[in-house]
Amino acid sequence: MAGRDSVLITGCGIICAIGQDRKQVLESLLATRTGVGPLRYLKTGHTEFPVGEVKMSDAEMESSMGIAPGTPTTRTALMGMMAMREALDQAGLTAADLPRTGFVDGTTVGGMDKSERYYLDFIGNDSRNEYIGTHDCGSCSEMIADRFGRFRFITTISTACSSAANAIELAADMIRLGEADIVVAGGSECITKFHLNGFNSLMILDHGQCRPFDRDRAGLNLGEGAAYVVLESRESALRRGVKPIAQLSGYGNACDAFHQTASSPDGEGAYLAMMKALADAGLEPADIDYINAHGTGTPNNDLSESQAMRRVFGDCMPPVSSTKSLTGHTTSASGSIEAVICILALENGFTPVNYAFENTDEGLVVPNMKLEPDRPLRHVLCNSFGFGGNDSSLVISNVSEN
Amino acid sequence: MYQRIDIISAKQVSIQQPLCEEWMTSPVVPSGQFVRAMDPDFRQFVTPGESRRLGKLLKRALATSLSALEEGGIRNPDAIITGTGFGSIENTELFLDALVREGEQMLKPTQFMQSTHNTASSLIGINTKSHGYNSTYSQKGLSFDSALYDAWLQFRLGKIGNALVGAHDEMSPVFSGFMTKAGHVMQGETCSEAAVSVLLEADSTKPSMCTLEDVRILNRPTNEELSQVLSQMKADVCMTGRSGNAGNDALYDFLGDDVPQCSYKPLFGVNFSSSAIGFYAAACSLKAGHVPSVLNGGRGDVPCNSILLVNVVGGRHYSFVLLKAICGR
Repeated sequence: MAGRDSVLITGCGIICAIGQDRKQVLESLLATRTGVGPLRYLKTGHTEFPVGEVKMSDAEMESSMGIAPGTPTTRTALMGMMAMREALDQAGLTAADLPRTGFVDGTTVGGMDKSERYYLDFIGNDSRNEYIGTHDCGSCSEMIADRFGRFRFITTISTACSSAANAIELAADMIRLGEADIVVAGGSECITKFHLNGFNSLMILDHGQCRPFDRDRAGLNLGEGAAYVVLESRESALRRGVKPIAQLSGYGNACDAFHQTASSPDGEGAYLAMMKALADAGLEPADIDYINAHGTGTPNNDLSESQAMRRVFGDCMPPVSSTKSLTGHTTSASGSIEAVICILALENGFTPVNYAFENTDEGLVVPNMKLEPDRPLRHVLCNSFGFGGNDSSLVISNVSEN
Repeated sequence: MYQRIDIISAKQVSIQQPLCEEWMTSPVVPSGQFVRAMDPDFRQFVTPGESRRLGKLLKRALATSLSALEEGGIRNPDAIITGTGFGSIENTELFLDALVREGEQMLKPTQFMQSTHNTASSLIGINTKSHGYNSTYSQKGLSFDSALYDAWLQFRLGKIGNALVGAHDEMSPVFSGFMTKAGHVMQGETCSEAAVSVLLEADSTKPSMCTLEDVRILNRPTNEELSQVLSQMKADVCMTGRSGNAGNDALYDFLGDDVPQCSYKPLFGVNFSSSAIGFYAAACSLKAGHVPSVLNGGRGDVPCNSILLVNVVGGRHYSFVLLKAICGR
């Protein structure tokens, strides 16, 4: 069995509200430019909620991917293809490499964008039957994979907002055990009326720009997007002669086991996930130079996560920020979108800013408000927590740290 | 590291008698395009309040999980890993129907909460106060196989000593129609429901039903890859997903006819958690020392010490799970 230093990241791709590729996302992060704004693409009556939409229509993404108009696809699958293309390109992978490459995807909404549009047709006639088969989570992953060739293995994790993080964990386990040399992992999720209304019914959407870790925080802004990382064994990367961009040093998954939608007051699940990730990486809290928090902006999450971070880091709290203040909460994709943001921070040496923070809350950590350029980062921690207490943490490291 | 992985209990709710093995000798013969599961008395598993609040999938998940844990003598499993193709589709349908027909007002948060696929895994975690590894897979009929594969990796990495692995799918009249329209259920097959929980433990000291020897999953494999798997995973019997539909059954022709084949779909129907039923039925068969005649088209019991579960999903995902009897190792 391969050791903990064996899981390299040799490519990544991203699309979200602050950019349609790595370069655009990096520019937005360095300029602290939010992608949250008025609704533009989703057809809903709830125009009062700002969202972090990908600034492309389905037709524009289809055109970018060379998909003929009228081909059954979903927005989740289209965003996934955009991010997958960039990740495979950076890792230098072509169709010829895919039969020995796994794909672990994360989504929950799946093809709900089309199901909510054509539901009455599904019931009443046969005009939209081709979209019934694109409803479930797994079909999205298959559509994304099939665009590029024959992957050796495909599965889909659906643990709500930690789906993509857990996909990365399974992929890394596969590499460590030698089940595969290369596994692409992450998640994709578009905004739908279904979950915009679902989050609204739970009364956790902010009517303005979200303010993670702020005293007056009033909920989250929904976002959307996709991101994938290419995980690869050290031997395979050496053999192919590709340069790693980062390393996945450790990871942990734990269950809060408290409530279906609320986090525990002491953040037990979050605490356990972070402790497991640090132990897995063989690191001490002081080794972590930046935390990309789950930080949704809901009163409950930010309090619970702050308690958990204080329990883990005590007096050596590194800079913390929630980049959901820029991207919106990209739900099932957030784990990989924020993992790619962490990789960009490691590669370029800066700490992303927690946008829109104004007022300190005694019970919460004070997030990072100043972008420090030229700040070398060794190891960063990336948190993703989901409904039902599915909590996961990743430790991503600079390649020069090994 | 462990010597073997034991399956120490396996429980089902399906269109057969629930939480028992009566189907092995006196099965219910399914008929019709859509048959709902036979539910057990939920009162011993959920409070009256929970019973009103929780959808059927979640009640069944609790019933099979808590029964499996009790029989296995484990309170807090190290890992809880679940597969589900559609999740709580009845609540999803209620929320979707109200959204489409009545608009974006007055939607119910409980329906939305339960529509999320990971509710079963997290509910079991909450109910048993288990803070360990917890995950959920949703890959059509490969969902259980994916969950089992994850557990298999966690054991091999030494991260866990036991795991509760399950698969749960419920069905509604509307979505059973969608299953047919999308080709997930084909001509001659009965669309059904299933909830299965199995408890695995490394080197268990408890009575073991059988052992888990290997798990492999491939997407669109070549003929060479399939031949290689079959040469490496030899068993006395293949338990397949043959259903009686010619198109589906042809997907298993690559197995040849050297090894006797049995199937569970004619008895339990077809749904996204079908392969979990196959795993359960195989474990029961190895415990009994034979595959019962009812899984062999009534042609008599098939004695065996090992079973290879073969599940082909959508003509592209191929899953292989090798189980062995305790005396056969």
